[in-house]
Amino acid sequence: MTAEAGATEPVSGEVRKSGPSGQQESGHGGGKTLVQITNLKTYYPIRAGILRRVVGNVRAVDDVTFEIRRGEVFGLVGESGCGKTTLGRTLLRLEQPTAGKAEFDGTDVLSLKGKRLKDMRRRMQVIFQDPVGSLNPRMPVSDLIGEGLLAQATPENGWHNRKIRDKRVADYLEEVGLRREYTRRYPHEFSGGQRQRIGIARALALAPEFIFADEPVSALDVSIQSQVLNLLLDLRERFDLTYLFVAHNLSVVQYISDRVGVMYLGKLVEVADVGELYANPRHPYSVALLSAVPDPDPRVRKRHLVLKGDVPSPAAPPSGCRFHTRCWLYEQLGRPEQCSTQDPELRVLNPTGHRAACHFAERVSEPAIAETAAQQDVVATAEVVDEAEPPAADDGASTSSEAPLAN
Amino acid sequence: MTEATVETTATSAARERRAGVGDVLLDVRDLRTYFHVMDGTVKAVDGVSFSIRKGGRLALVGESGCGKSVTALSIMQLIDIPPGEFAGGEIIFDGVDLLKLKTSALRKIRGGEIAMIFQEPMTSLNPVMSVGDQIMEAVLLHHKVDKKGALAIATQALRDVGVADPTRRVRQYPHELSGGMRQRIMIAMALSCDPKLIIADEPTTALDVTIQRQILELIKAVQERTGAALLLITHDLGVVAETVDDVAVMYAGRVVETGTVEEVLLHPKMPYTRGLLESIPSQAKRGQRLSAIKGSVPNPFRMPNGCKFEPRCPYAWETCSESEPELIQLGPDRTARCWLNDKRFHDRLAEYEASMSGGRA
Amino acid sequence: MAEIIGPIDLPPATPADQPDYDVQLESLNQWQIAWRRFKRHRMALIGSSMFFGMVIIGLIGPLIFQYDPYKIPVPEVRVNAGRPPSLAHLFGETGRLQRDVLTLVINRIRYSLLIGVIASAIGAIVGTIVGGVAGFFGGWTDTILMRIVDALLSLPLLFVILAFSQFIGQGAASWVTITIIFGLFGWLGIARLVRAVILSLREADYVDAARAAGVSDRRIIFRHLIPNSLSPIIVATTLGVAGVIIGEAFVSFLGFGVDPLTPTLGNILSGSLEFISQGNWWWAFFPGASIVVIVLGINFMGDGLRDALDPRSKI
Repeated sequence: MTAEAGATEPVSGEVRKSGPSGQQESGHGGGKTLVQITNLKTYYPIRAGILRRVVGNVRAVDDVTFEIRRGEVFGLVGESGCGKTTLGRTLLRLEQPTAGKAEFDGTDVLSLKGKRLKDMRRRMQVIFQDPVGSLNPRMPVSDLIGEGLLAQATPENGWHNRKIRDKRVADYLEEVGLRREYTRRYPHEFSGGQRQRIGIARALALAPEFIFADEPVSALDVSIQSQVLNLLLDLRERFDLTYLFVAHNLSVVQYISDRVGVMYLGKLVEVADVGELYANPRHPYSVALLSAVPDPDPRVRKRHLVLKGDVPSPAAPPSGCRFHTRCWLYEQLGRPEQCSTQDPELRVLNPTGHRAACHFAERVSEPAIAETAAQQDVVATAEVVDEAEPPAADDGASTSSEAPLAN
Repeated sequence: MTEATVETTATSAARERRAGVGDVLLDVRDLRTYFHVMDGTVKAVDGVSFSIRKGGRLALVGESGCGKSVTALSIMQLIDIPPGEFAGGEIIFDGVDLLKLKTSALRKIRGGEIAMIFQEPMTSLNPVMSVGDQIMEAVLLHHKVDKKGALAIATQALRDVGVADPTRRVRQYPHELSGGMRQRIMIAMALSCDPKLIIADEPTTALDVTIQRQILELIKAVQERTGAALLLITHDLGVVAETVDDVAVMYAGRVVETGTVEEVLLHPKMPYTRGLLESIPSQAKRGQRLSAIKGSVPNPFRMPNGCKFEPRCPYAWETCSESEPELIQLGPDRTARCWLNDKRFHDRLAEYEASMSGGRA
Repeated sequence: MAEIIGPIDLPPATPADQPDYDVQLESLNQWQIAWRRFKRHRMALIGSSMFFGMVIIGLIGPLIFQYDPYKIPVPEVRVNAGRPPSLAHLFGETGRLQRDVLTLVINRIRYSLLIGVIASAIGAIVGTIVGGVAGFFGGWTDTILMRIVDALLSLPLLFVILAFSQFIGQGAASWVTITIIFGLFGWLGIARLVRAVILSLREADYVDAARAAGVSDRRIIFRHLIPNSLSPIIVATTLGVAGVIIGEAFVSFLGFGVDPLTPTLGNILSGSLEFISQGNWWWAFFPGASIVVIVLGINFMGDGLRDALDPRSKI
């Protein structure tokens, strides 16, 4: 896709596994299924009126099905409001699911309660995006990391004992590249990159099998970002981890993932191996997304597909295919009726397991279609809707304690 | 498919621009902006110099803390004095030193001749004024029109930035609009007074990728149409490659490399620039360790002696920690602040070059 | 001003807003840092001196100045309106009984302070519990509790006290009763405040991290939510003391508050009004001034506390 004119060899780097571009063999990803998500829905009710009746739903995650294999990095991309963060949070039971199943190693996580839920939690951990908000400013590092150990203490692991906990905390600080002495320090004494490392250590300390990484490098500078990405990959090797890696930065996802899923307005619109997706995207949204990324090589002059308008509100998604209101293919094909009436299924397109949810996925790569689509009149693109805000549903005095956060 | 057609690039356009236009619009010379805080003095901008020609496009690139935003704010004189202080240098805009201007004269220039687009459209717009009123406020200050005329100008400005149904939009409030729309309003405000220079401070960082693309294309289109010069502040090298002709890389309050976009991004002569480029993840680098710049940005209260990048530089040697290099001239408008480029150390430079295989991706 | 970084980090507004440098500081926790900042805040220091100065006077004063507050003096010269400040009576004499104003003031400070501090403390405790429960559990609990708060807030405090006085006789309430009444109204504001703080803290990532690790709700409330909500509670409670003192003075001045036998600053004032026309300004002035000093002191201190505890403000 992008001009790899004279592909770069970085100065350092052991080449692990790579193939010719377009066909990435990953040593990972051929494993068994660790997480199976089936028809998952997470809706947030919108309440209005004095009695706070439910008048609608923000459909953050709307009937999503896919699987994550053991040992792989599954990248999930999409823009704000697409539901990728909500999906991960629902999996970790940080959000209330509305329907569907999420099986972790065979057990449906969504139906667990009490002690069984707590035991399961040890196996699935999370890394957050915001280095400032993810650490309690009033607790020293030893407590921040040790708290989870204490919560999961059993007679076997001995984590009730403070000395054992502290040693484990110090060990994991070293694993992430920080000094053991840092256990006594408070979060405000660390830089953003260091705080992210502390967050990673916190997730690792419980020896999980699966980590939901919610935009872990988005808040970091580029030079620190690559440090943390390297760390995450190293840790995956060392500790046999599986990642669900959510991000909006496509280059990062491109680099770190084995397989990628693209979400739009609560739905999964495409799933494929990373190389396959980037060489051969089959959903018009993925095409636009990939085309939108600026390339640091000044010799490359991509023609950009510019999408019209803004993302519709997840509370009132368009009928039929959610993307059709902004879809360039829809325009190119003369606005076929199917697109506005039928919601396309995520269907398999080729033997590699590449799936896309578009009625016309096969036509996406036809050269004629793509060429004309790329010549959009840029200035006149801000049309239509800007219902980026869900309908203001509170009366003035009501106190809403729901959290219909986009994502 | 959105193919990458490797066409002749902006190089030729840039040279034309330079040859034809020639006049320097903004000349920043040795600018120093310091902040006096509880623990000492932060030299946010410490001797920064660059220039932009009429209609030219320059990007100031760097990571957080390098001083690029402060530089832009200094040009617009939007720094709080105290704790800020302009400790030296000149900002010559169209022949006048902005640092020496009286407030009244400055006000005419701000918004009128130099316009700024900020990063956070959410906080840069007044939530209690309608969008139209905000644009009109600027228009009324700088043009001699009455309210009706101002409204017409504002509506047209919205149309120019691609907002559909501008007569309705003009009366809406910021909270009724999406992020991308608000950014368009900011751009409309910036344009409404026909500025000679547009300063865009990370205009797309807070936006989604597809909206970012819309706004970038818009900025480019608008800049070409009006012929205004563009000073783009960003940390994203991709945005730089696509939007501007010239670039100045900043680190620790200083400019460390300048040149055209091709020169700097394809043949960086300063290890920091190179490190930045190499740490950008991409599909081509899959399966390999991402090249990372070790360490972190220096503590402003404890800057190293000598070259500020030395502690993190893979090519540093004794000279680097002893004394700080000046900006070494490598060609017309091409400089790099690195001892590697000093004639005495040309064999080290050869090693550095050799470890870079041809071209970057 | 995203690039001015002192040792107290500003929360980044957007990605990559904060430079990633190695910060080397001694290991202070947030309270220690707040204390340091407080010490630097000029207004806070002035306010604290004022307030604690009055506290000391209130406590030690009566021991030093030996005029017995309960003894009705027999003055040498009978002046109905009382004599103005003189060397013998630094604050002058009251009207009618010609008692020494200085003694009166010094003896009453402590009761006013007592009422203020205790009522405010009651308000803080009750308010924190109610607000915390409402904020953390949300849903119907929250709705019901907040509607109760709203309802109570719409009752004017004065009328409640008036009504109450009808039952026990005018001006017959003991200071304990008054304290409780003020406390029972004071918690309303704090409850709302705490609820708001808890609502926002509940969404913090570190709370989610704790939940994801299996930490119990109870531990989350006590180790995460409450410690981080203390700052606004402290500030509100401090300022609340001032509010109660003024409220009590007002109510007692009108005669509906504490009974005349219990000495508060407000109490003294109730007799002084009629003598002002006779030229006796000092009887009202000095108690009034004392109230002003105490309240101003608290307000300055409260401001200082607020600035010191808020990591975003620059001191």
